[in-house]
Amino acid sequence: MNYFVKGNPDLCIGCRTCMIGCVVVHEGKHIFEIDPDSYTFHPKLHMVKTARLSVPVQCKHCENPACMAACGVNAIYQEDHRVLIHTETCIGCKACMDACPFGAIDMVTVAGVRQKDGSEKKVANKCDLCQGVAGGPACVRVCPTQALTLVTEEELEDLAKRKRMESARSTFCEVYHCDEFSYGGRE
Amino acid sequence: MGIPEIEDAKCLLCFGYNGADSHPIVARRIVRGRQKGMKIICADPRVTETARISDIHLQLKGGSNLALVNAMANVIWKEGLADEKFIQEHTKGFDEFLKVIENYTPEYAAEISQVPAETIRQAARMYATNKPAMILYGMGVCQFSQAVDVVKGLANLALMTGNFGGPSMGIGPVRGQNNVQGACDMGALPNSYPGYQSVTDPASREKFEKAWGVPLPDKVGCPITHVPYRILQEKEERKRIHAYYIFGEDPAQSDPDLAEVREALDKCDFVIMQDIYMNKTGLHADVILPATAWGENEGVYTCADRGFQRVRKVVEPEGDLKPDWQIIAEISTAMGYPMNYKNTEEIWNELIDLCPSFTGATYEKIEKYGSVQWPCRDKSMEDKGTPYLHKDGIFATKDHKALFYGTDWHPPLEMENEEYPMSLSTVREVGHYSVRTMTGNCRTLRNLEDEPGWVQISPQDCQKLKIQKGELVKVLSKRGYCISRCLPTERVKPGAVYMTYQWWIGSCNELTIAHLDPISNTPEYKYCACRVEKIQDQEWAERHVKEMYNDIRTQMGIQPGKGARS
Repeated sequence: MNYFVKGNPDLCIGCRTCMIGCVVVHEGKHIFEIDPDSYTFHPKLHMVKTARLSVPVQCKHCENPACMAACGVNAIYQEDHRVLIHTETCIGCKACMDACPFGAIDMVTVAGVRQKDGSEKKVANKCDLCQGVAGGPACVRVCPTQALTLVTEEELEDLAKRKRMESARSTFCEVYHCDEFSYGGRE
Repeated sequence: MGIPEIEDAKCLLCFGYNGADSHPIVARRIVRGRQKGMKIICADPRVTETARISDIHLQLKGGSNLALVNAMANVIWKEGLADEKFIQEHTKGFDEFLKVIENYTPEYAAEISQVPAETIRQAARMYATNKPAMILYGMGVCQFSQAVDVVKGLANLALMTGNFGGPSMGIGPVRGQNNVQGACDMGALPNSYPGYQSVTDPASREKFEKAWGVPLPDKVGCPITHVPYRILQEKEERKRIHAYYIFGEDPAQSDPDLAEVREALDKCDFVIMQDIYMNKTGLHADVILPATAWGENEGVYTCADRGFQRVRKVVEPEGDLKPDWQIIAEISTAMGYPMNYKNTEEIWNELIDLCPSFTGATYEKIEKYGSVQWPCRDKSMEDKGTPYLHKDGIFATKDHKALFYGTDWHPPLEMENEEYPMSLSTVREVGHYSVRTMTGNCRTLRNLEDEPGWVQISPQDCQKLKIQKGELVKVLSKRGYCISRCLPTERVKPGAVYMTYQWWIGSCNELTIAHLDPISNTPEYKYCACRVEKIQDQEWAERHVKEMYNDIRTQMGIQPGKGARS
């Protein structure tokens, strides 16, 4: 099963440290270079703020990715519990961006790469769960309020188990108008 | 009370304090408290991150603070929720206070604050019945012309519910900037020597005269916010200011009514600016003294909880610059008063010996315990300082009793009017600190937010003005104008706009009013009348903003093309 990072709006304070952490980890030492062309600022997750909600939004690494189905050049693939974009293959057709129901994909320039006509190369960009980075996703690690968690298969199952338990309890209590401990064999 | 205790309070009243934008590290405690079941009451005209997770959001109209606070006191008393034993044993002046708050029924306060009377009642009950209850307040209290009265009003709430002198209670000012507490502790105030020893107290003065070997004035000095007046309008020649030595401060960016500030700096005969980077004030200075930044020097900071903490050098400073204390010592020496300190510890030792409440806080002790909260009077390692200032309800007055202090609410000075129909409040944003001296030079933070900044405005007002997100708009007041980008947000109410004060182009202090609280002399940054105007020619506006920005950079001697693209 694919993993994904989930934000909790009850803990998020909207500070966007996750976005900076994301750029720092993906740009590496380039962030210290003076030449502006050697560096791009393209976070792979985005802070969303509504009237009463603050939470970062990013790729859910779907099991049947709409982006992958839409890609005409097979630049999107699954590997190592995640959905990835092969940026060298990507032709920037925006089909994936259009197909994604979560707005998790955007089109970004590639630092220092020019096309034949001199224009900047643009490719699809989204969360890669910090592939190849020791310690896992940077956003999870840098968040000051621990509002982000990496959800793995195991955790999803735990969560489902807990929910099933809760569901059983609430159905039971609804029927018998009591808590499970005071049931005592009533019909 | 200390910052870590916040999360263990049963109830938090967060008044005019936006932790998520000002101090994420403090906000973390609020979030954690929430997870532990802490009740949160948030008084703020905007839906801040704290308001979002609060049980009760008192979304008051700007400038109505004291009416709301007095009404909460009214409810607590009328509904019998006050701690009468605490009031009897530990306080004075309650009857006089009652006379004032009597008029502040929730219905009366609702008219002023636009918070429903029933919501005020619920908030008062929640605060009074969940003990320990803590109050945190920020610039949303302090930056009004009625500021000190509101601080006292909040203290009244804590007093009448017995929320003083123990863990996770009391009232906490969460300062606007790092080490503001330290600057005050060190006597960087017009009315006191280090350790809050009054300049008008003969015994204190004599002590410092003896220690420093010079006669010292017996009059209170000039508050920073009076400087423009004392340069531009002072009639008495003897009182006029002719030289202005500014360090770690950027009044040409952070003070209200910038046109007046610039005029004052230009008319002043001699201006010295001492800072870690070039800034707006530096453009008006005769001499610039480059100083080291944190990480390049040693010293002591005081945390909001009165805790002294050591700061250490991690890198050797490079280039033609010196630590602030060395610059001051050299200037003093050149002016005929030799200062020969070898290091910061020597200065600290001189200081603590002159301040009884700091005497015990030696470098050795701060080093060992990480933080020492004053008062700490004894140098022995057993005296670890004072976590609770008013422990067991014993207050720092002659008879150890706290004094109730009731005052009537009054509105801000400059209300909305026909020409300027909206109110402007200056606020903070998380990525940029203070006047952006440091964060404006941080590439990733600039990537998140850069010039000319945003003006937060309700979607209803945007519709009326026919402006959209990202459009450049003109914001004007009686005193000046600036250009900013429109940010429609449902988190603010119609009729009020909000801007952060660090932008060079979208510089909202061009608009703010230099009207001061009579006691603290803090300006009313949180309220003035303004107007937002659509700019028809957006292409011109974009070009104009870019040109203005490049002009400032050129004036400051910043090489074009350096740094991140803008």
